[in-house]
Amino acid sequence: MAITRRELITTIAMTGGTAAVAVTVGTGTLHAETEGPRIPSAAVGLLYDATVCIGCKACVAACAEANGETPDTRGDSLHQAPTDLNDLTRNIIKLYKPTDGTPASFVKRQCMHCLDPACAAGCPFQALHKDLESGIVYWTADKCIGCRYCTITCPYHVPRFQWVGYNPRVTKCELCSHRLAQGLKPGCTSVCPTGAVIFGPRTVLLTEGKRRIKETPGRYYKDKVYGETDNGGTQSLYLSRVPFDDLGLPELGEESVPEKTLRWQRRFYQYFALPALLYAGLVQVIRKSVKGHVEEAHEHEKETGLRAQL
Amino acid sequence: MSAITTSQFKTEDRWERAVPVFGFPVVTRFFLVLMALTLVALVLTGYRELAGLGPVSGMNDAFGWGIWKTFNVMVLTALGSGAFAVGIAAWVFRRKKLHALMRMALLTSFLAYASGLLLLGIDAGRPWNFYWIVFPWKWNMHSPLAEVAICMSIYAMIPLAVENLPPVLERLWYFDSRLRPGVEKMEKHLHSVFPYVIALAYLLPGMHQSSLGALMLLAGERVHPLWQSPFLPLLYVWAACFMSFGCVAGCTMLCCLVWKRAMDMDVLDEAARITCGLIYGWAALRLLDIAFREQLGTAFHFDRFAGVFWLEMLMIVGGGYLLQRSVRTHERDKMFMGYVLSSVGGMIYRFSPTTLAFRPNPQALYFPATIEVLVSLGFIAMGVAGFLFAVKKFAILPGPLYLWHDMASYFRFRRPYIRWTGYFKYGFFGEDEELTNNPHE
Repeated sequence: MAITRRELITTIAMTGGTAAVAVTVGTGTLHAETEGPRIPSAAVGLLYDATVCIGCKACVAACAEANGETPDTRGDSLHQAPTDLNDLTRNIIKLYKPTDGTPASFVKRQCMHCLDPACAAGCPFQALHKDLESGIVYWTADKCIGCRYCTITCPYHVPRFQWVGYNPRVTKCELCSHRLAQGLKPGCTSVCPTGAVIFGPRTVLLTEGKRRIKETPGRYYKDKVYGETDNGGTQSLYLSRVPFDDLGLPELGEESVPEKTLRWQRRFYQYFALPALLYAGLVQVIRKSVKGHVEEAHEHEKETGLRAQL
Repeated sequence: MSAITTSQFKTEDRWERAVPVFGFPVVTRFFLVLMALTLVALVLTGYRELAGLGPVSGMNDAFGWGIWKTFNVMVLTALGSGAFAVGIAAWVFRRKKLHALMRMALLTSFLAYASGLLLLGIDAGRPWNFYWIVFPWKWNMHSPLAEVAICMSIYAMIPLAVENLPPVLERLWYFDSRLRPGVEKMEKHLHSVFPYVIALAYLLPGMHQSSLGALMLLAGERVHPLWQSPFLPLLYVWAACFMSFGCVAGCTMLCCLVWKRAMDMDVLDEAARITCGLIYGWAALRLLDIAFREQLGTAFHFDRFAGVFWLEMLMIVGGGYLLQRSVRTHERDKMFMGYVLSSVGGMIYRFSPTTLAFRPNPQALYFPATIEVLVSLGFIAMGVAGFLFAVKKFAILPGPLYLWHDMASYFRFRRPYIRWTGYFKYGFFGEDEELTNNPHE
């Protein structure tokens, strides 16, 4: 029927006032969001200087020990030599060595503790959440449904799922928070022989990173601390001689991944205003359709003598 | 082929009433095969719960999601969006002819969603934590996955289930005359809440079918630029629309062939016309989106991504063209092929961003393991078996009016031992049943 479209439009126009209010309120909060993610009051993190790292992997063993993990000797049943982060490995040293003779570099990979973490943005029941004070991204076992969405969303590919066993866990670095509570430093920083990775408040680490860049200009790629603004800012900061992209740290821009990709999604579901509006409009139209349809069905029943089907 | 190509359409063949499939046994050899597949899947599911996901599937750290999520949920619920897409056309845009297809749409949707949700529970590594779903303040309201999980389960359990009640109530009504007053009372209540339930049944799938697309937005550049787009949610829900039209109308045509029913070309033409419009609109939106993001060049690289892209587009648009042609020339085989092509193309499209066009790292590979495929197949078999059972026990498939009378006489003569309570509100010749003394009562 031609009237339907007009009907829809008038219904929507009738409730247009509500829509306007909802969207304005919604964009109000969105403006606050676009100023960038909030930096936690006592944000702590790591500063890793790839030019200082000698690749001894002491941190890999120390990490497993500090977290009470069995050493991952699945490679040859002898050496603790995981090839990547996995369900027993929260921290790993990798080597980037191009064949064309350009500079090589080690890289330490662990959770970046993003200021606006994509894993937490996607986690359905907030099993992964960012601590408001320390900014550490924690995983909570009794909220995780094991959907593995975090392994898809994390732009650094950090959270790992345990593939074997009836009670799988998600493994990721939590900055050894149990050691922090005892006044100790995280496992990896406490054993590093060259001081390639240090622990501290994010602001202090950032200043230290910038100081190193200023002292030795040209030593670091782009004279930049990776993580200052990348992906909205992270709490694990990196200095490197080679392009960050080659170390598995993609150039993601200053906007965080969730902010960049879920903008419209968030706006649509703000206070559930637009879905509610849509629902009201649908009910209006369908009530009329159902009434007409029931009438027709009863007429048909009289014609055929067969009970109406709806 | 001759049966499908004949196009003489008689007015008495108009679909006026949903009629159960009669004269065919429920338990056939095919049905037993389906049940065996289901059983195998259930046993393997028990093994999966004990052993974990690794030993039973090809999933790995790079491809955290396997076919259980990416095919059984993402693809098959799109095919099962008939209750959403056909429903909106029938109830909101008042394409009245499509009411004939509504029961098929509701049944296929319910089965696709039920089987998908069950498998979603098995795919989850820690399913016992699903109980958080009843505490709304624990939801992460901005997570697309939370949206999918919550919306999908609410949708399948409440509005979709309620929409599927009328055929069940109807069977009770005919089953025993003593149930009639109760059933009629329930139907009255049902009709009063129907508008609210139906509206919910369009809002929720609209939300979660688009959120299924939004899932892959967070994966960023790891999804190939031909698929990754801010319009992914809209393209996903749109694809679900034409795919489900294809599923509903295509399945109905297939059923008519198998069980030798007349096809109402008025209804089928209407469905084909809408599907064709949806397909062209979708293809235009997708191409424009790719062009505006300046990624059209990647479609001409010689790699598997470009191959999959052209395969999708050719199948979908080719299917759309066949549908458009069949509306004009009334060729039923072309129409059926059009539905199959466009739906399969749509299935590949819905499958690509998570698997075929997902590039977590250059070395990563995913291929489903045997057990994974068997479980996936078993859950599909469960849905198909449910469909075969339902169309034979309930009035789901549309048919001409004379078919209902055929069914009534079939049951009177072939099943005399059934306590016959009458398939008519009025008697066979139109007399009021309560005034004549029915020997069977």
